[in-house]
Amino acid sequence: MNNQSRRDFLRNAGLGLGGVAMSGYLPGGGFFSAATAAELVDPLTPKSPHFPAKVKTVIWLHMDGAPSTLDLFDYKPELQKLAGKPIPESFLKGIKTSTQGGITKLFWSEKRTFKQYGDSGAYFSDLLPNLSAHADKIAFIKSSVTVGATHDISILKLNTGDVNPGRPSLGAWISYQLGSANKDLPSYVVLYNDKQEPRAGSVNWSSGFLPAVYQGVAFRPGDSPILNLERPGYMGAKEQRNSLDLLARLNGQRGARYTEDTELIARTRSYDLADRMQTSAPEAVDLTKETDATREAYGLNDEATKSYGETLLRARRLTERGVRFIQVVSGPAVADGDFRNWDAHSKLEDNHSKNARMVDKPIAALLADLKDRGLLDTTLVVWASEFGRTPWGESGDGRDHNAWGYTQWMAAGGVKAGSTFGATDEIGVQSVGKTVDTYDLHATVLNLMGLDHLKTTFLHDGRSERPTVVYGEVIKDLIG
Amino acid sequence: MNQTLKKKAVYVAVLLSLGTAVAVADDKPVTDAPKVSRAAAAKLWSWQPVQAQNTPQVKQQKWVRTPIDAFVLAKIEAKGLQPSKDADRATFIRRATLDVLGVIPSPEEVKAFVNDKSPDAYEKLADRLLASPHYGERQARRWLDLARYADSTGFQNDTTRPNMWRYRDYVINAFNQDKPYDRFVKEQLAGDEIAPDDQNALIATGFLIGYPDNYNSRDLVQRKYQIETDMTDTVGLALLGQTVGCARCHNHKTDKITQKDYFSLQAFFANTSVNEKYALKEKGEQEKNYEAAQAKYQEATKSIRDQQKAILDIFRESGVKYHKERYLTDSREAIFKPEAQWTPLDRWVNHRLENVSNDRDVEGYLRIVAEDKNHPQHTKETEEKWAEFKKLAADLKKFDDIKPNSGSRYISAVTELGHPDSPPTRIRFTGTHEKPLDEVQPAFPVALTSEQPNIVPSATSSGRRTALANWIANANNPLTARVYVNRVWAQYFGTGIVKTVSDFGKAGDKPSNPELLDYLAGNFVKDGWSIKKLHRQILLSSVYRQSSDERREVYKADPDNQVLAVFPRRRLDAEQIRDSLLTASGQLTDKIGGPSVFPPIPGGVVTGYNNFDNNPLWKVSPDVKDQNRRSLYVFTRRSVPYPMLEVFDPANPQLVHSKRDVTTTPLQALTLFNSETVFGWSQALAGRVINEAGRNESAEVDRLYQILFARNADKAEKATLHTFLAHQEKLIRDKATDGKFAINLPTGVKATQGQDPIHLAAFVDLVHTVANSNEFSYRF
Repeated sequence: MNNQSRRDFLRNAGLGLGGVAMSGYLPGGGFFSAATAAELVDPLTPKSPHFPAKVKTVIWLHMDGAPSTLDLFDYKPELQKLAGKPIPESFLKGIKTSTQGGITKLFWSEKRTFKQYGDSGAYFSDLLPNLSAHADKIAFIKSSVTVGATHDISILKLNTGDVNPGRPSLGAWISYQLGSANKDLPSYVVLYNDKQEPRAGSVNWSSGFLPAVYQGVAFRPGDSPILNLERPGYMGAKEQRNSLDLLARLNGQRGARYTEDTELIARTRSYDLADRMQTSAPEAVDLTKETDATREAYGLNDEATKSYGETLLRARRLTERGVRFIQVVSGPAVADGDFRNWDAHSKLEDNHSKNARMVDKPIAALLADLKDRGLLDTTLVVWASEFGRTPWGESGDGRDHNAWGYTQWMAAGGVKAGSTFGATDEIGVQSVGKTVDTYDLHATVLNLMGLDHLKTTFLHDGRSERPTVVYGEVIKDLIG
Repeated sequence: MNQTLKKKAVYVAVLLSLGTAVAVADDKPVTDAPKVSRAAAAKLWSWQPVQAQNTPQVKQQKWVRTPIDAFVLAKIEAKGLQPSKDADRATFIRRATLDVLGVIPSPEEVKAFVNDKSPDAYEKLADRLLASPHYGERQARRWLDLARYADSTGFQNDTTRPNMWRYRDYVINAFNQDKPYDRFVKEQLAGDEIAPDDQNALIATGFLIGYPDNYNSRDLVQRKYQIETDMTDTVGLALLGQTVGCARCHNHKTDKITQKDYFSLQAFFANTSVNEKYALKEKGEQEKNYEAAQAKYQEATKSIRDQQKAILDIFRESGVKYHKERYLTDSREAIFKPEAQWTPLDRWVNHRLENVSNDRDVEGYLRIVAEDKNHPQHTKETEEKWAEFKKLAADLKKFDDIKPNSGSRYISAVTELGHPDSPPTRIRFTGTHEKPLDEVQPAFPVALTSEQPNIVPSATSSGRRTALANWIANANNPLTARVYVNRVWAQYFGTGIVKTVSDFGKAGDKPSNPELLDYLAGNFVKDGWSIKKLHRQILLSSVYRQSSDERREVYKADPDNQVLAVFPRRRLDAEQIRDSLLTASGQLTDKIGGPSVFPPIPGGVVTGYNNFDNNPLWKVSPDVKDQNRRSLYVFTRRSVPYPMLEVFDPANPQLVHSKRDVTTTPLQALTLFNSETVFGWSQALAGRVINEAGRNESAEVDRLYQILFARNADKAEKATLHTFLAHQEKLIRDKATDGKFAINLPTGVKATQGQDPIHLAAFVDLVHTVANSNEFSYRF
């Protein structure tokens, strides 16, 4: 940020300038107060939360394509009973639906079975044999609601709070409000187990109207996760060192004319940071440092779980290194891309058995691993999706999108483990009672990070913007 | 936040003292209009007419070269300060060339200006810069920031908008021709209505239709609302500097814009649709080339496509029906209604459906019923035909190489579908589409103006947008000229006279120099809304000519540099960095206009295909000349920001982008230092330096510095560089003896015989490092 931007930034962040203690000097204009001096030089300087945080890191597991939570967590005996019958009109009151593939017949897969697990007695289906062992670490939200009938707008809303692109994502808000806990790594990282970027790309980890420094950094699969991380092949380490030394010297010589220009100093320093990142980032994703047992636990020895398992193992390594927000987008279930994601408009059984298999063992391993390493209490794991799926069968054996009632969950740090909040109606069309919208989920996650969503603000185009737009409520029942 | 709250409190106090009650500080939606008892008395400064200004009296008359200087100097003197001395000429021409053209000047241009002894040297420079066609490119980029310009729709499919570049070229040409700003605005809002026979005016409406869009939306009625919202908010911010969008969900909390005012503005766009296939009147070279390429592809693939079509024809009826059923309840009502019964809203919805439907819908249907054995419509035939279709699709794919990747033969523009009657616009409770309240008619914000829109429908159009354009692009509108001159000012000085360049409302900043703002606005209108004259006056001012050297006493007295007693230095923006590196390396392709291009992107970014038309999202332009065009021409794919630009805070094409941030991050360092592309440019720059300076280290270094910084290297720098070269050579030589020998040589060198390759490789590293230094990325 240049000084002007910094001043605007402080103004936008509501910090104001003009402190009495003048410890810094802004070329191109001005002094700044001691309280904000560090921040002026580096917008990612660690900042205090509004109140003590329960967790340090959020691992945000986005189940891309929207799983049918009716087939995973939200057991509906009534749906099983009514399968094949027309859906009673009363369940459709107040919602706009599509009629593609027919809306009339309720669907239940013959293979589906549910059992209760843990002290909490939470239901898990046969599709999640490993995750079910962690029932007592999870707080379920069974009355999730959102807006939208297509993935893109609802994914945007899940990540940014609006169905149109342009707002900052939740991770960007956290980065902005808390800064970075590890200078050598980005504070907000995006992971995906796919050869290509998730659809719609960076709008889902955008900094929106916040300065670009707060956007998520996509870690690509492979040894070198950040673009341009490696020096060109023909430049050896020593030559690079010599070149960087030259750069610092030249900047210093010329900089003598602008002795107290913090922005130029910051730019010179950014090359040192980049240099360190060249080592720290590949190291952070180097899975060869993991034991065979760990690799096995995350499913790295099985083609069906390998790519997602690697992603979650990276997530754990980044958690250990203080990354604040890790957004994990699930990729295709099998390497050859038979199913791109959870979007089972038809052949749900086939689709979900593959997708569930891909994530079940790795997520279970992540929860166990966090516990073993003493990270469980300081790490929040969120299972989120853009919406759920309908109880009626689209095209006979698939399910359509359902924005009116579906399950998401939070596990590990700070949550009321082994609890369930909210419910859907008897067949799982709509939420009944208190609902949890994406804004409420965001407010709750922020709360666990020690942030008040109403006080996390940024002035943009005349509005004091916050992560939850004009909505949002912390769901206290989810907090342990 | 404290500041905002404090501000709010102040406003409440002020307003109450005037006997006005405005809901400003509560969070509840307000649906009743605020009671404004003495609107005129309480009118916000920016809503009052632009005032004629007398040039202020100043002590240092000698410093005043333009009226601007008097206004600025008055403030400087009031602070008890002196303005800075003039920047040296080399610094000045580098600054002005970057500001006006977006790239660094050539050493020859610098030399000519430095040595120009004529009394009008600065005037000649300003005139040369403003006459350059690259002036239009540079100004266009800033305008496109406001127009949330992109070459694709965004969202998941991110479909290519094949004709949007014509709008980009329209903007470039408008600036280069110095189209009066009022005309420029009118054409962009209502070119289709005010000049239906002028193809350029039609293209100008690309301003309105650049909104992000998802072609796969299942809720077309809701989509219409989203589109109108985008148009209204964009016009409000970009042209009026008003955050009208705040009044969509509730009455504006700080400005006197009611929810009713908001939806009355939205009503101007109620009948606005888009036509992406307007025929071109005349085919130019681009169209001819494109059609030839298309014809080649069509011919080569005719048999395959005919067979595909024959298969889809079998399932077309059920496939189209299946596709239509995916839309939600109220959309389906319009879609399945006979045309004779269409309301204006149904007309809009069905036109939209047509725009976003194609054969891939039928293909999708066939795939689902064929692949899913349990599907009620699954038959042996569907399975066989789908297998056949897939094989044909694989065959077709083999011809992708000859499929044109950019270019077009149509125009995209606004249309009202040949009807003057508009769908109704309703106030929406809390802005929620599903909660419609009273219907409203097109009108301007009541507290801002008493003027009523003069709407004259034609046989084919509502005339609403023309009425809006006539009100905005008008000398009597207190906002339009002020907002624009302030944007131009901010381009040169980093900060606007009103700092919040898109918010001239109460929550925005007050002008730091209101007299100057009104002088500029009034003069702008008086000069026939000539944008070039505005730039010229700024370029020739003493304010702009000042040095940016540090002056402690100034910082003490004026911490925010509000009175501009020193010139604010600034980091180059994303486009300036890339385009200047290309310029320095001699690789920049100097072509203006035409379809957007795809430079290579790092291998780590793997892009796919879009679902709508199955075209690749990023197919690298095969011609290296295209890859090296100005950044303005790099394809703006909303979901795949071009990585090299993305790290340097470019415009976010999802919204009106008012102001470029400057952030400093390690990712920028990685990009400039490690990118193979940038390294390639350094190799070319090294070659250029050797060719132009001859093999003499001191001459080479001077030439390099002249190219990059418009100056010679000083003694200390030369010593530093000399030491580096010797050491770097040794390091490379050591590596060479290791047996692992890969070096980078300068490219494009005319005569390399007898040159030590290791010395040359070390020189490339020197060039690359110097190009990475702070001085290059800033303009002082």
